[in-house]
Amino acid sequence: MLEVKGLSKRLPTGKTILNDISFRVDKGEFVALLGASGAGKSMTMRAIAGLTSVTAGEVVFSGESGKCYTTITASGKTSGKDLRRARRNIGVIFQGSNLVKRLPVLDNVMIGRLGRIHPLRSWLYGFTDQEASEAMAALERVGMAGFASRRTGSLSGGEVQRVAIARAIFQRPLLYLADEPVSSLDPKNAEAIMQLMQPLAREHPILGAFHQPGMVMHYCTRVIALHKGSIIYNGAPNLSAKQLDEIYCGQADRPEATQELTAAAES
Amino acid sequence: MTWSEFSFERYRRYLPAAAIFIVAVAASAYLSEVSLTDLRRGILKGLSLLTLFFPPDWSACKDMLQPALVTLVICLVATPIGAAFSIVFGLAAARNIAPEWLRLTARTVIAVERGLPEIVILLVLVAAFGLGPFAGVMALAIGSIGMLGKLLADAIEEIDPRVLDAVAAVGATPWQVIRHAVLPEVLPALVANSIFRFEVNVRASVLLGAVGAGGIGYELDAAINQLEYSRATMAVLMILLLVFLSERASDWVRSKVL
Amino acid sequence: MSASLAVPSNVLPSVRFRRRMALLVVCCASVAAFLIYLKVDPIEFFRDFHFVSDLIKQMMPPDLRLLWVKHGLWTSLLQTVAMAFFGTLIGSIIAVILALFAAGNTSPSWALRLGVRTLLAVERSTPNIVVLLVLLIAVGIGPFAATLSLCIGTVGMFGKLFADAIEQVDPLPGEALIAAGASRLQVIRYATLPQVAPSVVANVFYAFDVNLRLAVALGIFGGGGIGFELHLAQSVLRYKDMLACVILILVLINVMERIADALRRRLFLQEV
Ligand SMILES: Nc1ncnc2c1ncn2[C@@H]1O[C@H](COP(=O)(O)OP(=O)(O)O)[C@@H](O)[C@H]1O
Ligand SMILES: [Mg+2]
Repeated sequence: MLEVKGLSKRLPTGKTILNDISFRVDKGEFVALLGASGAGKSMTMRAIAGLTSVTAGEVVFSGESGKCYTTITASGKTSGKDLRRARRNIGVIFQGSNLVKRLPVLDNVMIGRLGRIHPLRSWLYGFTDQEASEAMAALERVGMAGFASRRTGSLSGGEVQRVAIARAIFQRPLLYLADEPVSSLDPKNAEAIMQLMQPLAREHPILGAFHQPGMVMHYCTRVIALHKGSIIYNGAPNLSAKQLDEIYCGQADRPEATQELTAAAES
Repeated sequence: MTWSEFSFERYRRYLPAAAIFIVAVAASAYLSEVSLTDLRRGILKGLSLLTLFFPPDWSACKDMLQPALVTLVICLVATPIGAAFSIVFGLAAARNIAPEWLRLTARTVIAVERGLPEIVILLVLVAAFGLGPFAGVMALAIGSIGMLGKLLADAIEEIDPRVLDAVAAVGATPWQVIRHAVLPEVLPALVANSIFRFEVNVRASVLLGAVGAGGIGYELDAAINQLEYSRATMAVLMILLLVFLSERASDWVRSKVL
Repeated sequence: MSASLAVPSNVLPSVRFRRRMALLVVCCASVAAFLIYLKVDPIEFFRDFHFVSDLIKQMMPPDLRLLWVKHGLWTSLLQTVAMAFFGTLIGSIIAVILALFAAGNTSPSWALRLGVRTLLAVERSTPNIVVLLVLLIAVGIGPFAATLSLCIGTVGMFGKLFADAIEQVDPLPGEALIAAGASRLQVIRYATLPQVAPSVVANVFYAFDVNLRLAVALGIFGGGGIGFELHLAQSVLRYKDMLACVILILVLINVMERIADALRRRLFLQEV
């Protein structure tokens, strides 16, 4: 479904941000990216969505019709049209603060379809009533239908996060990317958001970055752990305390630690 | 503090600055021909002229209505035209929207428009188009573009880049990002600024009128040049009324819109 | 299933499209109506564009030799700056004094307060040109009249602002001084003014910026400064000189802005 092949990103200064990242995400999966802050989780997702450039590797994903989309390659930029086509099939659930604050909630949801409507229509007419009622259905699914005409800037953190998910649902993508969707929320709201995402993942796979191992073990089907831009673990979500220690406390710098982790993943 | 505590040493380091300041004040007083005798004579003369200025020539009120309306209409045309063009300039001058060459060009044009007082623009336009409201409308519109364009460009540059990235990430084209994210974020501020600019324009158009753009400013200048002082008082009252009404009106619109 | 929930009518796209179109039509129609009223024909602008190109041909190249051929020009430039500087300085001092009378916490009596507030409000909405035209009669043509009207304009621009700032100062330091036996004037000097000083200074710099532009404009009537030179060049159709004056004005305003910025930075750095 999604295939990340040997993705590397080095800055001109020589700093390595991503180091030969390769993994697959298949239908029905809810994959969690774990790793300390600065490990490269956001950068991986930005690369998949074609929002940054890389120095090596490529990202390919295929739709149900068997069509392949390449969002990013090292050989420079994909053409604007191809990128647009690929992007509209990836639903990015950004942190909620990335919604347009002065627009009504409903408009923020409808923005999800921009990749599918003609740019001229955007300027001359805007969205249709049909699209608006579909957006209402997406809002209803996340329990925010009553907020459709509220200004987005006046919502609370949890509500905003639900709207961001509604935008992604309304987009009807083949794959969801979620960068720390629950990090700024209280435990109760975080739990509710995870419960929303779990059934979504059954329709179309989700790749998300999280900082809550407990929740990840409960809801996700697989964990990929990053450390300083490299994958150090790719396997089942039920991690032991020791493994978590290695992921977060940086002991993974020792090569034998990485081997231990990988061995544990395989067993 | 008492005088015994006063010591010259404490203030020594301010001495050069103070000296420069005093020289600057003296020089500017000399250059702008400030004279207290003129001031005293002026006050006396002004008092003696009061009888000429008052009472206002109420009968001229009728003649003044039309020019006052012209002044108002000039501003009502110039402000929206300026606001509309400022969207173009604001987008072109924003770092996160426009390529570097366009941004620098637009910023330069805006800086020139802002740097020149409207009246200078008006004098140049009059040289091209002759006297009349057209030059006045153009001058005010150009001045408005300068101010509104700069404010708009700054507001656009302050938009969180992640908001724009998030819209681009659904597959939107750059123009769609402008339509659905940039403009909704900044248009309310543009409306508020335009209303403020309208007030500024009303005051400025009196001055422009006196130079030859027509309207109430021209009436005032003409009345004074013809030594019809009570008529001039009427024009002043009309101007005050116009300014007052435009302030009220813009307050009202502001409270409606925001 | 998708139509199960009704979209609120105030965010229904078709309703909003209709509302937007109506607004657009009303705006365009009224601008068109106003243009017709003013007998201004925008199409004429493009048809008569040769006026513009003629003018540009006549203006080019700007005759910057003026700077050393014409002796009065440097004086005119300096005179413009002098008018703005002097007007700002005296105007700000008067504004602060009047503001003390207009602020509720420093004014000696409410009647005085009301009177000064009214005066400031009237001054605020009187366009500078009105003041100037009246002053020209009283003190005669010359830069002095323009300087005086800048003074009055500055008072109008900032009197109310300063008064509001004074009303918002923290009363505690003043009360402490009163408790220690300080007089009313001492409280103003040692508790009130220090608190408003930063905002006053910042506004004085802003006032200078505004006044410099006004000094150019008022010079046209007052018979002084670079504005007058510009007007002269324009009225005798010496367009090369006119463009030179425009460029000089632009440079002057830019240079003064930089100087003011540098001064402001030094001043505020020193205070911190
Ligand atoms: N625009 C950028 N320029 C340079 N370095 C960056 C940039 N963005 C992120 N980085 C670096 O890339 C690394 C990975 O960042 P990120 O992907 O945001 O980490 P995470 O999301 O896992 O916390 C960090 O070391 C960060 O400093
Ligand atoms: Mg991150």
